[in-house]
Parts: sequence; structure tokens; C-alpha cells
Amino acid sequence: MKRETALLLAPGVLVLTLGFVLPVLRVLTLAFDAKTGFGLDNFARFFADSFYPLVAWRTVRLSLVITLVTALFGAPLALVMARAPRWLRMALIVVVVLPLMTSVVVRTFGWLVILGRGGLLAQTLAYFDLAGRNFSLMHTETGVVLAMVQVLMPFVTLTVLSTLEKIDPRLEEAARVMGANFWTTLRHVVVPLAMPGLVAGSLLVFALSASSFVTPGLIGGVRLPVLGATIYQQVTGTLDWGFAAAQATLLLILALVVALPYAQGARRAGASR
Amino acid sequence: MKRIVAFAFAAAVLAPSTLLAQTELVINSFGGAYEKKHRELVIEPFEKMHNVKVTVVTAYSADMLAQLRAQKDAPKFDVAHFSGGLEATAAADGLLAPIKPEQLSNYADLYPFAVQNLAKGEGPAYSAAVVGILYDSNKLKTPPTSWLDIKKPEFAGHLVLTDISNNWGLLGLLAINKAAGGTLDDIKPGLDAIKSTLKGATIVSKSPEIQQAFAQSDAWIAPYAQDYAFTLTNAGLPVKFVQPKEGAVFSPITINLVKGSKNAELALKFIDFSLRAEAAAGWAESFRYSPVNRKAKLSEAAAAQTLSGDEATKSLISFDAIKIGQMRAKWTEEWNRAIAK
Repeated sequence: MKRETALLLAPGVLVLTLGFVLPVLRVLTLAFDAKTGFGLDNFARFFADSFYPLVAWRTVRLSLVITLVTALFGAPLALVMARAPRWLRMALIVVVVLPLMTSVVVRTFGWLVILGRGGLLAQTLAYFDLAGRNFSLMHTETGVVLAMVQVLMPFVTLTVLSTLEKIDPRLEEAARVMGANFWTTLRHVVVPLAMPGLVAGSLLVFALSASSFVTPGLIGGVRLPVLGATIYQQVTGTLDWGFAAAQATLLLILALVVALPYAQGARRAGASR
Repeated sequence: MKRIVAFAFAAAVLAPSTLLAQTELVINSFGGAYEKKHRELVIEPFEKMHNVKVTVVTAYSADMLAQLRAQKDAPKFDVAHFSGGLEATAAADGLLAPIKPEQLSNYADLYPFAVQNLAKGEGPAYSAAVVGILYDSNKLKTPPTSWLDIKKPEFAGHLVLTDISNNWGLLGLLAINKAAGGTLDDIKPGLDAIKSTLKGATIVSKSPEIQQAFAQSDAWIAPYAQDYAFTLTNAGLPVKFVQPKEGAVFSPITINLVKGSKNAELALKFIDFSLRAEAAAGWAESFRYSPVNRKAKLSEAAAAQTLSGDEATKSLISFDAIKIGQMRAKWTEEWNRAIAK
């Protein structure tokens, strides 16, 4: 390795070692720390009955739904932004990024006002006779998905936007000149070229939603636990760090099991074109 | 010359800290409006009276216990305030120094409940919270009377329960369990009672969510603490507190002497000072915590919304704090399973 390369790598490697590699190793040793030394006690407890596997399933299911919805809303928005005039693009970026800059408490309170009983949504639905006034999306999975999509949208929109901006506009013009309509151009030219951005963005969204616990806790409440929340409870409430570490390890494995084949498949699909 | 300079330098560095060490007391308080009142009622008058400095660290009980454990060999705190019974665990772990009745000039004026655990090495209570049932007095013409009223079908959709991670939620669960025939070794009756209400119940984990539920979400009834009813009344909500016929749960807030404190004598003075009638009355007036001192003079409103110590010992339930500490993790698991959708 060249000296310059090593020097440039050093800060990043140092931070990753201290902030990521060592903690992960510590979590792993904690997870396998049983009463009799090395053992699988903590994992056995996880699978002892259906409670924790169901929590894990909810975590994965919610994360997949959140990722899908975020991609469905975020990618088209990126397309609009890529084609919009400068000032409008800037305005849209601000709008998309703003939720990330707002405190989670304030943001959640906003959702509470909208989704809660007698809230904006309930009143609107009641006005059209579609639901009762005490209709509420608080403490529901739908509410969690809505709130999470709002926060995670920028991760898809901004990554897709940056890949779209790199696409040579002449490629699209060529497709249109050759007689392809808007949708055909989109399907055969734009989407395949924007795929790397979409994959990277949705992987980020998946990882972030699988590990989140504040928003699911505040919007979903205690009756819809996700793994992030049960880990948090074991760490701060019941102080069972071994079990928390085992759950964290399983969460990591789950995320990898879902994310790796997806990334691989997407790369292969991209390469075959 | 060099040596003299070094000595002067060392003296200059060390002197202020040794001076401070003689006159500084380190305590914890619980933050926010509580801590502000704490300063006003106890801390600032004490500082003036003894010309000392009291450093306040904001730490809730569980955090405080963790810090005391970590600092066992060289404690940084002199006085520890605990709620939720954690003083029992701290005393059992050998983190507290026992206090003798003759060390407290206010001892004779204190209700028995406040000093009942001195012999076990725990500190005295300086005020007390009471957990019962909060209800909307506009919606309910007759107040609820029993812990098991939460199961009444007419309250479905209007019931707010509090998660076990919250101390009042835990005590409420234990009271419901006791009323349903359970014991600390068997909380299944309580969990079954909770389960039967789940369809029409909202489960929250933080106090502000209770306020929000009463203000916006048509909540009528919620097992919770008496002082919080006062907070809600102050916020303009028609919420009242009732002591169920099986007894409300009593949860003393205690002040403890940290073992190994370098300023034990001053710390004891601070503890004694915290038990004055004026302080007890102040807590009752501003937050509706029940007084520990017989001589506390309360306004009519405060007297009506707190419990006197004689009532307390007669009609209130208190649970074995050590047992709660041991069972908490197991109960949390059972509770999570009972309420999860």
C-alpha cells in the first residue's frame, strides 16, 4: 500500500475499530457468555417460546414494508427533483431533509396530533363518514410505517437523485427519438441506470428501520414491540446485557440475511444489462 | 528555587479542592420542576444556614443506584435520594450507612412509616407518593371504588394503563394483582385481569402520555399516582384521585446517607434538615406528596389531596421492595407477553 493511501485510511480505520469493531466483538462475547462460560443460553431463551421470534418477525416485516413504501414514494420524487428547475429542486431537498433535522419528540408529537383520537385524520375521515371520530392510528403498525417513511425518505430520494443526475440526458433523448414513450424510456433506460442508487438507498432504509426503537416505541407503543425496543429494555430496564447482546446479534444476522441476497441480486441484475 | 515553585504550584492547585472537600456536599435530585422545588425547599436554605456548597447531580433512582455501585470504593456522593423502593436494594448491597434515631432531631415528629426501615440500614422517607386511580370527574358521576373496576365494560375504550417499565405502572399492576387474589410470588391473577381489559385499553409508558390521553383521547380512568392527578388538575383537566377500597399503594421517597461519605456529619445534618415540617409541607403544597412530619401545616386543599401518616399506616398497601427488585425482570417478561399484540 502506498504511504498516502495508508495515511488517508488511518482516521477512518481508527474510528471504525474503536467505534464499531471493538463494540461488536464485545457484544458477541456478551451474547455467548452463559453461566457455565461459553454457551448458547441467551439464544435458547430467545427461542424458548414464540414471543421473541414473533417480535423479530414484526421487526423484519415492518422494515420490509417501510423500505418498500419509502422506495415507492422516494424514487419518483427523486425523478421529479432531477428534472425540476434549480430553485424547486433545492426547495424539495429542504422539504425532504427537514424531518431528519427535527427532534424525534417534536416530530412524533406532530404525528400524534394528526394520527391520534380526534386528530386531523380522524376528523377528516369522520367528515366524509368514513370512520368514527375516535378512529386512531396511534399504537398501530400503520402509524409506525407512516412516521418511519417520513424520516427515512431522504435516504432513498437523495441517493437516487445523485445517480439520476449522473445519467447522460442524451441517453433518454435517444430513447425518445427512437420512438419510446415516457414509460418505456423509464423502464428500459432510467430505472436500470438508477438501480445502484435505489439499492443503496433502500438498504440504508432497511438497516435503519430494523434497528430503530424510538419512533416505533412512541408511535407504536409498548404493545407492538420490535427488536430494537426489547434490546433497549433489556439494556436499560432489566439490565440483562447478555440477553440484549444475543438479541442484537440475531438482529444483525436477520438484517444480513435479508440485505445481502438483495444487494447481490441487484448487482447481478445490473451487470446482466 | 525549582522546588519552591513546584510546591507553590501544587499548593495552589490542591488548596481550593481541599477547602471545598470540607464544605461541599454532593447529592442527587430528580430534575425538572422537582429539582427546582428541591433547591428552594431544602438545598438553598441549608447552604445559607451552614455556609456550605451543595452540588446537585440529576440522577433518577435506578441511575443513582448504578452510580453508587460503580463508586462503591470511592463514593462521590454524600446523600442519595431514592424513590420506588431502591433504597432497600442499595442498603442490602451495603451502599448505605445506617442512621440512628438519635441522629435525627426531627425523629419524634415523624410518622412511623417514614422511619420504619431505619433498622434495616435504609434512610428515612422525606415525602411519599400514593398510587391509586385517576378518573375524569366530569365523565364519571360516581368515582371508581376498586382496583378491579378497570374491568368494568363501561370503561372499555376509556381505560389507560401504564407500562411496567414505569414504577407507578408496576405498583398499579401489583395492586390490581393483590385485589384479584394474587401475591408477589404469583402475579398471574393481575395479568389475567389486565388481559381481559386490553381490547379497550391504551397502554402508555410515560406520564405525559397520560395527560394527553385525558386531554385528547377521551380517557376516563387510569391507575396512577396522586401527585400526577394534581399536575393534571393544574393543567385544567377535571381529573381526580381516588383511593381504592383495597387500599392505595404507598411509595415513600427516601433520603439516604452514602456509606464512605467524607462528609458524613454534614450529610446527616442535611438529611435531618430535609425532614423538617416546613419541607414536608412544601412538598405537599407544591406537588401533593404526602407529608412525613406530623407538624407539617397544610392548606385545606393540600390536606384533602394528600394522606396523613396515620391514615397511611392504616389503609395503604406497601410491597416488599427487596422482593420487587428481585422479581422485576421476570415480571417484565411476563407483562410483555401478556400485553403484546
